[in-house]
Amino acid sequence: MSIVNTENTTIETTALVPAISNAPEEISHESTLYAEPIAHFGSFTVTNALFTSWVVVFILIIISIIVKISIKKIPKGIQNLFEIVIEEAELLCDQVTNSRTITNKAFPIVFAVFMFVLLNNWMGILPLGGLGFIEIGEHSKAFIPLFRSGTADINGTLPLAVLSVIGANIFGVISIGLWKTINKYVNLNALGGMFTKVKKDPMILMTAPIMFAVGLLELVGEFAKIASLSFRLFGNVFAGEVLLASMGALMAYILPTPFLLLEVLVGVIQAFIFAILTLVYYTISNMDHEHDENEEHSKKGELVSSH
Amino acid sequence: MDSFITTFHIDWKIIVAQTINFIIVLGVLYFLIVKPLKQLMKERSANIEGGLNDAKTNAILLANTKKEYDEIVSSARTEAHTIFQEGKKEAETKKAEMIEAAKNEVDTMILNGKKVLESEKAKIIEEAKQEIVSLVVLATEKLLESHPNEKFESKSIDQLKNI
Repeated sequence: MSIVNTENTTIETTALVPAISNAPEEISHESTLYAEPIAHFGSFTVTNALFTSWVVVFILIIISIIVKISIKKIPKGIQNLFEIVIEEAELLCDQVTNSRTITNKAFPIVFAVFMFVLLNNWMGILPLGGLGFIEIGEHSKAFIPLFRSGTADINGTLPLAVLSVIGANIFGVISIGLWKTINKYVNLNALGGMFTKVKKDPMILMTAPIMFAVGLLELVGEFAKIASLSFRLFGNVFAGEVLLASMGALMAYILPTPFLLLEVLVGVIQAFIFAILTLVYYTISNMDHEHDENEEHSKKGELVSSH
Repeated sequence: MDSFITTFHIDWKIIVAQTINFIIVLGVLYFLIVKPLKQLMKERSANIEGGLNDAKTNAILLANTKKEYDEIVSSARTEAHTIFQEGKKEAETKKAEMIEAAKNEVDTMILNGKKVLESEKAKIIEEAKQEIVSLVVLATEKLLESHPNEKFESKSIDQLKNI
């Protein structure tokens, strides 16, 4: 195995697929940072990560149809499994949200995120490395695998993160209103307070600009959320795939097995983290900071008056 | 930014495609699994809760019915006892009355019998007297016939008159 940093930051691994080594010319097996294209429809390029995502969607549709068909009053088999999963997942969500109402609203999205990410993570580590085709380049031949985890491509994790953050803000608008949601990021209330509350509380001249700046930081934080969500998932899954490829190159069949089991676990953990963070964003967006602040002020006022 | 896009081969078309993929998954999972299963679980919970409430209500009803039954049985026993006691008293009174009536009847019958007996006795005595008188008269006649004497005759007649 050789790891080479090229222009495209590729990590080259050989002997990933033993059958290919019989080819007369050496074929490179590269784990690239980006998903490899496997087909073109006009200007639209189908990558192996996108293809894997389609397979995941297909699998989920089949499972969903089977569950829907098998739904009975007395649960059995797969229905039983999903009922347990949903019930326990809702209880877990309740611990995060502290409210069944928020859980009920956010659960379908969080559950979909978890299932989509989990299956994508697992599809990438399926021992189907031999499935693919050889691309003949100008100077060498390269093996293009047919399956690559949808989450091992930033094009797969980025939309999920964007949907998660935008969805949370939409949820915030629905729950606490557009004005309050905007004021979280562009704190016009605090700026307005500089003129209206200055007689009561002159300190507001100091605090209001800080509050406004904090709001802007929150806005930057939203983009940070997108970056952290997408890169964390992409990094972990991609690293897992590279790790498996490297171990396979060192000692095929035997050495990758424990790492394969580890990656199964990593797949679950990463899906869980992504889903729980999404739920946390939904819960935070449902909180009315202004209301909380007012409550705090009123409590302080009550304390002062009681003293 | 450009190097970022180039390094990771960021393609907005693929991003859109992945977004559509996720939306499909969300829709499918929601409409085919989450919604129907949650609905079913909710109905089941409601049924179980309803069943438990029914069981509680039935238990309360049962307890009330048992209490009512016990009260009815208890009152019936008391009533039966009272009726029995009253019946017993009434029967005893009737018995005493009947015995009294029987005694009175027996006394009346005895009295009547005595009266009849006495009248019969008097009648028999009268008849016996008549018989004796007729026998004496007959004997006297026969005696007079056999001993014709005026003194004796007048004496006998006087004696007969005294009888």
